[in-house]
Amino acid sequence: MAHKSSRRDFVKRSAALVAGAFVLPQIIPSSAFGMGRRIAPSDRIVIGSIGVGSQGMSNMRDFLRLKDALQFVAVCDVDTHHLAVAKDTIDLANKNSDCRIYGDYREFLEKEKPDAVSIALPDHWHGIIYSTAANKKINVYGEKPICRTIKDGQTIVNAVKRNNIIWQTGSWQRSVANFHRGAELAINGRVGKIKYIEVGLPDGNRGIGTPPVKPVPAELNWEMWLGPALKVPYRGVSHWDWRWILDYSGGQMTDWAGHHIDIANWGAGLEHTGPVEISGAGVYPVEGIFNVPVEYDFLCKYANGIEMRVANASRLPLGMGTTWHGDLGWLHVDRGDIISASDPKILNEVIGDNEIHLYKSENHWQNFVDCVKSGKPTIAPVEVAYRAISVALLGEIAMTTGQTIKWDPEKEEIIGNPKATRLLSRPYRQPWTLPIV
Amino acid sequence: MKKQYLLLIVVAGLLTFFSSCKNETVYKTLIITGQNNHNWKASSPVLKQILDETGLFSAEIMTTPDKGGDMKTFNPDFSKYKLVVIDYNGDSWSEKTNNAFVEYVKNGGGVVFYHAADNSFPSWKEYNEMTGLGGWGNRNQKDGPYVYYKNNILVTDTSVGNGGSHGKRREFLVRTRITDHPITRGLPVAWLHGTDELYSQLRGPAKNMQILATAFADSAAGGGTMRDEPMLMTITFGKGRIFHTTMGHADEGGGPSMHCVGFITTLQRGAEWAVTGDVTQKVPWDFPSAAGVVLRPDFKEMTLDEAFANIGNYEIPKSTKYLSCIQSHIRNLAGDETGILKIEKMMVKVLKNNETTVEAKKLLLRELSWMGSDYSVPAIKELVLNSELKDEAEFALSRLQK
Repeated sequence: MAHKSSRRDFVKRSAALVAGAFVLPQIIPSSAFGMGRRIAPSDRIVIGSIGVGSQGMSNMRDFLRLKDALQFVAVCDVDTHHLAVAKDTIDLANKNSDCRIYGDYREFLEKEKPDAVSIALPDHWHGIIYSTAANKKINVYGEKPICRTIKDGQTIVNAVKRNNIIWQTGSWQRSVANFHRGAELAINGRVGKIKYIEVGLPDGNRGIGTPPVKPVPAELNWEMWLGPALKVPYRGVSHWDWRWILDYSGGQMTDWAGHHIDIANWGAGLEHTGPVEISGAGVYPVEGIFNVPVEYDFLCKYANGIEMRVANASRLPLGMGTTWHGDLGWLHVDRGDIISASDPKILNEVIGDNEIHLYKSENHWQNFVDCVKSGKPTIAPVEVAYRAISVALLGEIAMTTGQTIKWDPEKEEIIGNPKATRLLSRPYRQPWTLPIV
Repeated sequence: MKKQYLLLIVVAGLLTFFSSCKNETVYKTLIITGQNNHNWKASSPVLKQILDETGLFSAEIMTTPDKGGDMKTFNPDFSKYKLVVIDYNGDSWSEKTNNAFVEYVKNGGGVVFYHAADNSFPSWKEYNEMTGLGGWGNRNQKDGPYVYYKNNILVTDTSVGNGGSHGKRREFLVRTRITDHPITRGLPVAWLHGTDELYSQLRGPAKNMQILATAFADSAAGGGTMRDEPMLMTITFGKGRIFHTTMGHADEGGGPSMHCVGFITTLQRGAEWAVTGDVTQKVPWDFPSAAGVVLRPDFKEMTLDEAFANIGNYEIPKSTKYLSCIQSHIRNLAGDETGILKIEKMMVKVLKNNETTVEAKKLLLRELSWMGSDYSVPAIKELVLNSELKDEAEFALSRLQK
């Protein structure tokens, strides 16, 4: 019923909640008893969330359905309105009022030391916070795309590996039957040898022009929201709409890379490599502060001869989703349980015992929980996520420079183009730096 | 002295040579107007300006007699022109003129039908074959099918009903349906058009016609058909090529529909295709996208020099188009270091100018961070000392000095 109170009361209450956070955790993470980050099957995982806006809340609700396996104890956000809603949600589920709230992820991680953390933040924060959590040996469910730049991604991958944590990427399509089935048919050659892949991602959005500067709302810590990104005055754009501004995101192209490019890689055996040549063009807004490409169309060539075209859906014959083209036909998958093929018989094919059986999960959040307990890899490991977003980030560099980019997927370097190489990272604003892994 | 004279003669000779070359590629164009249920006095000079702006066309406007006037006096010599633009919706021409126009097109003359031109001459068979689709003037099932897209499928609909309608004027999204036609090649697949009438329920013979672009006539603005209605079409008639744009409802001075870069560019490209069957014009940097409508106040494409003359005044609530223009030129150079250095020097000049706003300098520093060279470094180092620009200057140096 908190939502019936006035906005002012709401802000006050939220502030009080933040102040009240400085109490010692009552639930001690299982991992504190010398079990490292692995949890005994009988124990509940102590979990918290960093970033409880739309996607963070969505993930939280999915985790709360697994109540017997985990216990939510704390949340962290730079917006006290987000915190109040998240705390209400958790307290309601826990039937108490114990959920602790934080405005600074550093304090959250230090004080809570949870077994696991679910993180859903604007992309420009991923590099620092994913790596910091991994360095603290906390298992991470992290939203895609896992990084804003290749450099951020490399740091995250190293942090996850070196600290041997369990990582699940929010690429939940892997845990949905039609995507799994499509990828399994593709990788077992049911459309023949794969030659060409088309990946359709959403068209770009309408702009908002150039809004004037506004007072920062009381509930928002704007300085912390910006973090490592260059300081800009507040114009009423923060939550959700960060994805239309290049400082924080690459637009739909990078936002969705962790879905349909990831699936494309899964079915084509490209999960652990990258393209060798990338070229393409974008359509950029003429006016306004939303500056990500509204349309995009780029082609990636792989060392094994496969070509992958990534474009906004309206440019492609089959629109959204992933289409594998082999020398015997094609196979298409998309959301809404869509799976279709050049010959419907392909869809009835049985995968034999001696063929490739892709990792199977029916619930993405459950899969993470299971793996935290078992210590086994998840269905969407960190390096695979890094390879999926790399495709889009390299496409972005090709579009920004107007050049064909040569990429060494082994060394993870751009070949012979120092200016394009600069775009592999974004300098951080002082005092923020990527953690040392 | 002698050398100087020689130089003058050579220069004069070259000028004559180039201007004569140019003359050969300028297509004489006739814009016919004089009667219309629309503001033809506003639209026809704009059409002329838009076409002349390309350097490809030299357009003249010819007006017919007023409504009820003696049409026998209207006898254009079509053979003098490569392109005829119809901005006319009024009394029938004389049979002689009609025949001359049909002969002109049959023999390969280019035509552009603009907006209400497809309302004209409902009973002139050949004219309707040339427009492909038309509306109003008691057009109905006897005149041919409705043609439109429904759920991305091209529909030829012979159902009974009147031809021609439109809802309230509004901005609308234009969708390219054929992306590899010379007119649409390189254009975005979707772009927002400036406030205009969305012509719907056109019907006609639709022979030898291709629909290049459509717009969805939603019901929100009233009168929506919930179909994707044809906006841009090409038709062939004999040896003639025809470009038909249903857009561009004119207000005084043109209005947003004609100031729209999407309208301007597709008209220019459609006109060239009608004359030659190909398009040599580049897609302008300011072509709109689904992100928003782009209007040109003076119908001209902003040049890089104009962008640099204005970028220094950028402040928070102001237009970002000058930066967009510079960025677009950098992308188009595709790594051509000589060209990029030239732009870099212009950027540094603005950066060093005391009149330049802090916000403009911030934009330029971000851009220089990746495409700049050692040339920029000293100027950027100075800005590190400026507390307002320190972060952006360090951002740039961190990349440039790697």
